Amino acid sequence: MSYSKYILQVKDLSLDFGSESTKTLHDISFDLRKGEILGLIGNSGCGKTMTALSVSRLLPKDARLTSGSIVFDGKELMDHTEKDMRELRGKDIAMIFQEPYTALDPLKTVFKNLEEVLTEHEVLTKDERRSRILNMLKRVGFDEAEDILGRYPHELSGGQRQRVLIAGACLLKPKLMIADEPTSSLDTITSMSILELIKSLCAEFMMSVLFISHDLSIVGGFCDRVLVIEKGRIVDSGNAFDLLYNPKNPYTAGLLSDSRLDPKSLDLKFNKPSFSSECSLRVKGLSAGYESTHGFRKKKKDIIHDISFKILNGESVGLIGSSGCGKTTLTRAICGLLKPTSGTITDTKGKLGVVFQDPVMCLNPAHTIRWHLNEPLKANKIKLTKEELNKTIRESLEAVGLEKDILGRYPSQLSGGQRQRIAIAMCLMINPNLIIADEPLSALDTTSGARILKLLAKINTERNTSILLISHNLRVIRAATSYVIVMDQGRIVEDGPTLNVLSNPQSEITKKLLLAETTLHRNPDKGQFMTE
Amino acid sequence: MRNKKISPYYIVGGILFSIIVIACILGLLGVGPDPEKTSASSKLLAPSASHLMGTDNMGRDLFARVLAASKYTLFISFAGVSVALVLGTVAGMLAGYFGGIWDRMIMLLGNSIMCFPGILLALVAVSVSGPSLFNVIWALGLVFAPTFARVYRTEVIKIKGRDYILHAKILGVNPIRIMAVHIFPNAFAQIIPAIVIGLANMTLSESAMSYLGLGVQPPKASYGKILSDAQSYITAAPWLVIFPSLMLVIYILGLYFISEGIRGDK
Amino acid sequence: MKERVTYILSRVLELMITLLLVSLLTFAAFSIIPGDTARTILGPSASPEQVEALREKMGLNDPLLFRYLSWLKGAFTGDLGNSTSFNQPVSSLIISRLPVTFGLSFLSLCLVLVISYPSAVISSRRPGKFWDQVFSVFGHVSFAIPPFVLSLVSVLIASKLFGYFAVGKYASPSKDFGQYIYCLLLPAFCVAVPKIAMTFKFLRASILTEKSNDYVRTSKSRGLSDIKIMFRHILPNSNVSVITALSIVLSDLLGGSLIVEQVFNLPGLGRLLIQAIGRRDFPLLSGIVFYLAAMMVIVYFAADVLMNMCDPRLRKNRGDSL
Repeated sequence: MSYSKYILQVKDLSLDFGSESTKTLHDISFDLRKGEILGLIGNSGCGKTMTALSVSRLLPKDARLTSGSIVFDGKELMDHTEKDMRELRGKDIAMIFQEPYTALDPLKTVFKNLEEVLTEHEVLTKDERRSRILNMLKRVGFDEAEDILGRYPHELSGGQRQRVLIAGACLLKPKLMIADEPTSSLDTITSMSILELIKSLCAEFMMSVLFISHDLSIVGGFCDRVLVIEKGRIVDSGNAFDLLYNPKNPYTAGLLSDSRLDPKSLDLKFNKPSFSSECSLRVKGLSAGYESTHGFRKKKKDIIHDISFKILNGESVGLIGSSGCGKTTLTRAICGLLKPTSGTITDTKGKLGVVFQDPVMCLNPAHTIRWHLNEPLKANKIKLTKEELNKTIRESLEAVGLEKDILGRYPSQLSGGQRQRIAIAMCLMINPNLIIADEPLSALDTTSGARILKLLAKINTERNTSILLISHNLRVIRAATSYVIVMDQGRIVEDGPTLNVLSNPQSEITKKLLLAETTLHRNPDKGQFMTE
Repeated sequence: MRNKKISPYYIVGGILFSIIVIACILGLLGVGPDPEKTSASSKLLAPSASHLMGTDNMGRDLFARVLAASKYTLFISFAGVSVALVLGTVAGMLAGYFGGIWDRMIMLLGNSIMCFPGILLALVAVSVSGPSLFNVIWALGLVFAPTFARVYRTEVIKIKGRDYILHAKILGVNPIRIMAVHIFPNAFAQIIPAIVIGLANMTLSESAMSYLGLGVQPPKASYGKILSDAQSYITAAPWLVIFPSLMLVIYILGLYFISEGIRGDK
Repeated sequence: MKERVTYILSRVLELMITLLLVSLLTFAAFSIIPGDTARTILGPSASPEQVEALREKMGLNDPLLFRYLSWLKGAFTGDLGNSTSFNQPVSSLIISRLPVTFGLSFLSLCLVLVISYPSAVISSRRPGKFWDQVFSVFGHVSFAIPPFVLSLVSVLIASKLFGYFAVGKYASPSKDFGQYIYCLLLPAFCVAVPKIAMTFKFLRASILTEKSNDYVRTSKSRGLSDIKIMFRHILPNSNVSVITALSIVLSDLLGGSLIVEQVFNLPGLGRLLIQAIGRRDFPLLSGIVFYLAAMMVIVYFAADVLMNMCDPRLRKNRGDSL
């Protein structure tokens, strides 16, 4: 076996699902050097996952590799039997996946979950296995690895589970790691630390990484080279620096601008309220939480503590915090769904509209759009004549930019963006003083998201409606709010005018969020490319 | 409508089900000889042109009796499921929506009813209150209600947490309207397969009860009663067992396939 | 540890309440009789003195609550008085019939497990392919056959084809255990068939759900073979959800046994029940009903505890669903 600088060479790989029309991959060719991190980027359904699964031969049952060759570490994998492949998997080719929450067997402890890697590929005593796993857990950043060993997966956070999976993947020091969107379901700060970890392990073990992602902007600081895939073909490739600074290919350029939410190009204008104007919402010393039953006793545990802030008429306020900081509890308390333990909420005019994160769940699938628009009026016992009703409905629809023919349809017949607009139109029916928008963009694609943001801006300026925008995306907050509140662990840790807070953060959490944001989306350094 | 192939389950189930419906209609119209007329001269005759399914030990025409029986079977299964559905809907919605003590009490009662194996409770209730069509229906309805209540409860708990219900609560819609207008239509869609299966199980139970002599009372015909009468003549006149069994299986299988079809559509 | 204790305590409390409710339901079922119970038992030809004597003997003249409490005490101490038609203590009558009914249910449960597990594993290996189709069609059809109909038909077939007369044959297990099993085999099969189909269907669906879970993919990417993954990960996980289903199956098997005994003329609780109904022997009837239901309460309780032991997710954070 001659020495090769490549660990993996894929040539003219084609794949279909039984017939020519289902062809998913067209003549994919690429090389992966030893110790290199190669990004495989594309939208969902472009074939990037299929490419990766072809390498480890974990394809769905009906998929067929019709042509091509895959040379891994000098051996042609296309000639390998399933048994040969099983020996490679876990030992030389390791994989980690997108969803760490379900990737571990829920009935077994971390130790049992990881142990199978070793029992499958090596002959070791139990103590040896234990110490190897302990060492690896320490390496991936668990200070109390002993404690983690005996835990069950549901007792770990998403980031911890992904670390456990990475530890499992690296136990046998594989030559290649395939990482399929390993950070997509994690929050910004955790994502950043996971990527850093993979990168350091890669250098330590001289491991190559095939990194699959849909987000072109995060691979910049992480990958050495990038391949862009569209509809089963490689449309662009090059080192990360060139691709991100000088996207020559129009498809790559499009992907890039989609993933960077640029506030300027959106042309957003929000109200600048004067400080003398009235409040549309005033929260004072608010604490609230949930009741839980322990055996026979009931305990009330506060999630948010001593929250005070106000929203002026026509003001647009942002609320930032990572997951679990109490954002949802605060919203529920403001909406009256949760009885506060202490404190007051003064909602001066009493009219409130809410837009939720998930456009699939925000409308009732059993009723038409007309029914939905009518419901807020019925609930508030507002009686209108037929003409007035039609007029209000028309105005609301116009405001959100939808046509009248949508009224007879059911939610399932609308797109995510359209549903989110209907949710906003429902708020508008009662002409609220305040709209609370809870992560309204995060479930939408970039284009629809930008439109919703514009729509909120329009309502804010034209109707002088206050907006409370809850988001973990700093770019959204920067673009759409004039004042910002930062929450951490149920308390307000910082507030002030948006630009001040984001340019000169005082609290730890804001600093962390900002750092993660910039690190994740950092631009690649030219010198980073691996040379031998 | 999307261009989708109709599931073969629907077709087979529909055909089987319609056989029973046709039999029921014929039974209602009183086609053929009187199912309750005995005749000393024509006992235990094998199937022939004049007696399509033969005759029983009392000389009654089996075909006519089977038609009459399908009438009662269909009626009892639908009426019993309706009783169970009404009770189950109310209990399940209350338990699921309000939770807490309501939930605990209703589920405890439901679980207690479900602890009586099979149709034991219905058997006792009917034997104590006297076998009659009405008693059979309410007893079976009561026994089947917890099943529906459970399905409803699970659905309501699932739906309750969705954003559109939160939204309705924020708007200030009152709980009864939320349950009736916002939750019920969505939950009901999930109940339909359970209803069809309920019809099949109801038929199974009803036939078992009438087999034990606690269902529809003679001289009225029912599948279970025909079969228990036939048992003594099982080797001499096997048609007495075969035809009613076949009809019973056709009905249950038809319902079962239809429910499979509905499930497959989801 | 404290959580474990409170969990077990709250479950035991629930068990007690359920038992109490079950007893109340049983008692209520016998108290709703329209008219005079004693008259119903004795029939229209009895003299008023006889009726009054029976009323006194059965305690029917006492207030309802008092009757319930004394009945409840009897039920929990195993003394439900004498059967009016057999002139024997209710408890000894029930015990004498237990071997048939329990044997039948247990044997059919074994059949359910032995047949449904392998077929579900084979079926879910290649869903939609030949063996899956074969098993599924068998499952659909056998699900639709009521146990007593199957019994009648199998009695017919066994006697016509093999000259095997199954009806009325029975040997006590203490005398001839082999013969006991042999006699119960065909009835047990008839009880089991629809429940085999049900368990198969449930298990197959559960295996397929587990199979699509990410941890299966993780294990595959570690080089484990399909068979190892099936036995190490998929089956243990699907067992957790199957436990509840199996406890319901057991209840149905017990219910089915009661009826099938009637067809095969076996001297079990089902026969006793029908005899008690026919002779309007309410003390015996209430005893049978209560003890059968109480047994199921305990089975469900055991299933719940077992599930809790198998699934670490259920052990902690109970009630913290928000």
